[in-house]
Amino acid sequence: MEHVEADILILGSGGAGLFAAHHAADQNSNLKIIVSAKGLIGKSGCTRMVQGGYNVVLHPDDSVEKHFKDTIKGGGGINNQEMAWTLVNDAPRRIRELETKMGVFFDRNEDGTVHQKPFAGQSFDRTVHKGDLTGIEIISRMRDQLYAKPSVEDWDEVRAIDLLIDEESRRVAGCLMLNMRTGEFIVVHCKAVIVGTGGAATMYKIATPSLEKAGDGLAMCYRAGTEFLDMEMMQFHPTGLLAENSRLNGGVLEEGLRGAGGYLINSLGERFMKNYDPERMERSTRDRVSRAAYMEIMEGRGTELGGVYVDVSHLGKENVRKMFPGMVERCRDVGKDLSVEPVEISPAAHFQMGGVKVSNDCESDIAGLFVAGEDAGGVHGANRLGGNGVCDSTVFGARAGDAAAAYVASLKSQVKVSDTQVHEIIEDIVEPYRRTDGENPFYIRNDLKNLMWEKVGLVRNGKDLNQAVAELERLKDRVNRVAVKGSQKYNLTWQELLNVRNLVTVAKMVTSSALIRTESRGSHYREDFPESNDERWLSNIYAAKGENGEPEYRVDKTKQTHINVKEIQGYQVVATSK
Amino acid sequence: MNDVEVTVMRFDPDEDETPRFDTFPIGAKKNMTVLDSLFLIVEDQDPTLSFRCACRLGMCGSCGMVINGRGRLACRTKIESLGDKIEVQPMRNMDVIKDLSVNMDKFFKNWEKVKPYFVPKEETDEFSVIPPASGRREIIDENQDCITCGLCYLSCDAVALRGEDGYIGPAALNRAYNLIADERDGAKDERLDMVTDRDGAFGCRSFGACVEVCPKGIKPMKTIQKIKTKKLRRSVGLKY
Repeated sequence: MEHVEADILILGSGGAGLFAAHHAADQNSNLKIIVSAKGLIGKSGCTRMVQGGYNVVLHPDDSVEKHFKDTIKGGGGINNQEMAWTLVNDAPRRIRELETKMGVFFDRNEDGTVHQKPFAGQSFDRTVHKGDLTGIEIISRMRDQLYAKPSVEDWDEVRAIDLLIDEESRRVAGCLMLNMRTGEFIVVHCKAVIVGTGGAATMYKIATPSLEKAGDGLAMCYRAGTEFLDMEMMQFHPTGLLAENSRLNGGVLEEGLRGAGGYLINSLGERFMKNYDPERMERSTRDRVSRAAYMEIMEGRGTELGGVYVDVSHLGKENVRKMFPGMVERCRDVGKDLSVEPVEISPAAHFQMGGVKVSNDCESDIAGLFVAGEDAGGVHGANRLGGNGVCDSTVFGARAGDAAAAYVASLKSQVKVSDTQVHEIIEDIVEPYRRTDGENPFYIRNDLKNLMWEKVGLVRNGKDLNQAVAELERLKDRVNRVAVKGSQKYNLTWQELLNVRNLVTVAKMVTSSALIRTESRGSHYREDFPESNDERWLSNIYAAKGENGEPEYRVDKTKQTHINVKEIQGYQVVATSK
Repeated sequence: MNDVEVTVMRFDPDEDETPRFDTFPIGAKKNMTVLDSLFLIVEDQDPTLSFRCACRLGMCGSCGMVINGRGRLACRTKIESLGDKIEVQPMRNMDVIKDLSVNMDKFFKNWEKVKPYFVPKEETDEFSVIPPASGRREIIDENQDCITCGLCYLSCDAVALRGEDGYIGPAALNRAYNLIADERDGAKDERLDMVTDRDGAFGCRSFGACVEVCPKGIKPMKTIQKIKTKKLRRSVGLKY
């Protein structure tokens, strides 16, 4: 087995991982930094898949206070306000770094200044973008810029299996990795690990993210013993393209379609948002629009494929083709022309607001373990605004890189990896090869996706959630009975087992947290408790592994450190009157 | 829709002397892509098949393959467009890791040769003011969305004939052009020399396969021509 020494190991090569690599290398070019990902570096993860853009205050008539208030309001008032304040204040620096240091070129106004477009849930048009496929430009330039930093090693298709923690000092000692190409294990001995592998929305039947995402970082952090928060908060994007029989299903049609004035229409031809948010209509926040669409579908006003329609044809054929070329192309894949006709869409699981509890500098409860991007919780509260995602990953990725470099510099001694621990983990991981007959992990994943969609989805209730808790235990047992054939080399079935194992771990926290929160807030909606209850629930639910290995939960009031959310109108969920 | 036969190349360079081909029946349905058919094979028929993918929406460039003889992204290729028999092979001009997944190091080694990163001309935190109608971005923006899938590299005859060290290839040269033409970049001359050496732009024979296979509508042949023009103009003292 290979052993490798490094100063900082970064897991994930999306916006968080790559920004962390750049910042850590800029702090000290003598640090040995490894960036490792399940796919090719810069090609996996969701930053690349960003379509709409990046929320940032640039215009003199806008302000960070406004961006902050929009973020808190969108988040149902349970955001970590320190993190949200950091987000809006750091974003202008990060967007400038992308343009002036890494060579990104965002779309311009006619006068040559940076164009900012309207996005839902925002009081000012502040979303910077590159056409309707912004992420390709951002992540490609960040990836290219790594070639200028030889102190950063890039490891393609090497996935992390588990964090190696010194139990006594609760410090990071390293990480057990698996080279997916060779099937061989690697022990990385390092001083700090930055986790940025992304969330676990792929546990849902209809989901938007990149296929390889499986909440790996979250599950590893759980096993390592960090604390989590807001795990019940799973965002559904209102406009996932419906493509039956294909993994294209759930591909996002970007937020800007609604921002630009697109209509959402049910099978009766009605703009149904008038019954849910008459003031903001389609430009309401993602949680509300998704829920409205779901309710229309459930009440029998859905389309043949079980969706609703998005229609932008009234904006004019040429305009649509010019503004949304990527979306027009995507719809063509299901035989529709977005510029002239309505297209069938459905809410689709998109982004996990919950995650590891961290400080403003991305520190977890374990010394040397930093968590950034979608893996960290708190900044978005109960619902993330469109355009705040890539903002989050770049802002906190940079902070994680800076903080990890400082931590490594301050470290006097390194703790040792436990060989026994490494051996035990490997035994467990290769066990499925010893079984001749067993479960197929792809089928378990399909069952998980259906379970989460039906019982822990957009509209939840106590009875379904209780059933889901029990069903997840059965899925966990099935995961332990998977058999894998063939060699360890580039074995997709083996990889899928590791994926589904992690997804089930995360799904348990999502489901139990959803059961505990007996109210509705942000993206979490309980039909048995359909309104927000500030008295009891202006709070966060925390989860961590208990003595017996199962998660334990606690509830704590959200600290209103910058503003009292009660000064803002409209952050709560109120019963709809139809 | 009818059933189709999907034939995939199987090869483990550590175990096998030569590749073999396995054929699987797939019930073709509306919207189904070649990538979907590969998943159906690994899920239901042969759990040991290896291939690479990530975003499944044509944004990451991970699933380039040779499908019915032509370079395509598996996630953007509909089964219905291919007839009853579909043959899937790994990308050419690269080494096979296993079955359909290839090592893209040869492609990225050439990418690295053009100094693919931005070198700011000046230390500034201010956004450049460049009106879209000014023409100052030349043809960068229409050729900027490269997802480094490698399809142009596998399709390029100059790469096939001269090998990885003999010709940098279309994608990397296109990247070089975008930086050379970017008025904000400070390494224009250095880069122009780097990409007009023996393995550079003048090795392009304008066959145009790169333009034809690019899933993003980029025209490397055109940007490579622009590199040649810039070099020639510079050498005779004209504005370039």
